[in-house]
Amino acid sequence: MSAALMEQRPQVLSRALEGDSDSFTRLIEPLLDPAYRLAAVMLADRTSAEDAVQEAAVKAWRKLRQFRGDATALRPWFLSIVANECRMLRRGRWWSVLKFPDVRESEPEAPETYTDLRRALLRLSPDERLPLVLHFYLDLPLDEVARTLGVSSSAAKSRIYRAAKRLRSDLTMEEVF
Amino acid sequence: MSPNDNFKRELNNAIDDVSGAPSSGLRDRVRAAVTEAQPERSTYWIAAVAACVITALIVGILYVNNPFRRPVGVVNPGATPSPSAAPSTQPTPSPSSTPSPTRTYICTADTVDQMNPKASPIAYISAARTGAHPDEGYDRFVIEFANGFPSEFAELTPRDGTSFTETASGQTIKLKGSNGILLRIHGADMHTSYSGQTDWVTGYKTLAQVRVLEDFEGVINIGLGVNGNGPVCYHAEYQPNPARLVVDVQAAT
Repeated sequence: MSAALMEQRPQVLSRALEGDSDSFTRLIEPLLDPAYRLAAVMLADRTSAEDAVQEAAVKAWRKLRQFRGDATALRPWFLSIVANECRMLRRGRWWSVLKFPDVRESEPEAPETYTDLRRALLRLSPDERLPLVLHFYLDLPLDEVARTLGVSSSAAKSRIYRAAKRLRSDLTMEEVF
Repeated sequence: MSPNDNFKRELNNAIDDVSGAPSSGLRDRVRAAVTEAQPERSTYWIAAVAACVITALIVGILYVNNPFRRPVGVVNPGATPSPSAAPSTQPTPSPSSTPSPTRTYICTADTVDQMNPKASPIAYISAARTGAHPDEGYDRFVIEFANGFPSEFAELTPRDGTSFTETASGQTIKLKGSNGILLRIHGADMHTSYSGQTDWVTGYKTLAQVRVLEDFEGVINIGLGVNGNGPVCYHAEYQPNPARLVVDVQAAT
């Protein structure tokens, strides 16, 4: 996010709250890439991920009046909408029932390379992948991970650690945080 | 480079591999979609009035057509009047409320939202039981908590087959039925306020067996064995008074 936009965000947010769609898109454009990464990993489908991000952006725009907080709270708020949209997309896809066994063949074993790690990642449920992307890939601070997940910081920490342990069983808490 | 850096680098490579980069048109798509959509107006009062009207209609229809309504004054000796703490192996009707007609069953992994009041730090399970509801198209498994709801989430994962790992022994056990669901409750224990049954072979049409697989450090794993050849579908939610987790397994069609 550019420094200029960071400085102007409170004013841009105010204009967006007054119904200015250009201001709203200016605010969320820097979030589209992280939102897409999050959706692509949760859905394991790039096309659906872009659909989810688009739909989440429209919902965020429609629900902007319900947004409580300053401009810094926008990122976890928007990412939580994206995550919810991914869950809804998965529930709505009848073929997800057929796809399910493909990624749940067995418990993950200790992967040696990132290709193994990729397979292990896809064996996790989407809600287990979510904290991993937020913490390791997007580098969100723990409190933002917690707000995105809608849980306490300690619960977020626990979810990150549990999911990471499922990828690599010998990880210690100190190595994760 | 620390082990953490290695893990993070490899994981981020894997995530890059799965996600790739967004297409160049995504920004324009989003901008166009947002521009077309109108922000939500303050129409809460309209929604509230509509909700009241719909609720009144539903209540009226249910009152007129309710197949579960019993004549006043008739006691059904087979039914338990309120949620009982005693575990049961008999296929008795669940004492919980009648399921909502708008309920949705899902057939993929999902989590159950938390509810207040949350137990701190651990929710103690005080009762567990099964119930058969063949006429309504589901069988039920209920877990009651003595001191509020778990402070963390519960998750359900359908799986092919009924083989589960019993964590304490490391042994694979096979439950009755053809497919299964792994129910994992975080932030609860089943040994402080509960000393009852941990394995239910029900004899029901749908829910064939329920067995506790793990009860350790605030995490409880429970395997559900389900009859039927299709995907296992369920509806799970927390319900208050008393605090309980209700899992309804949909009968195969």
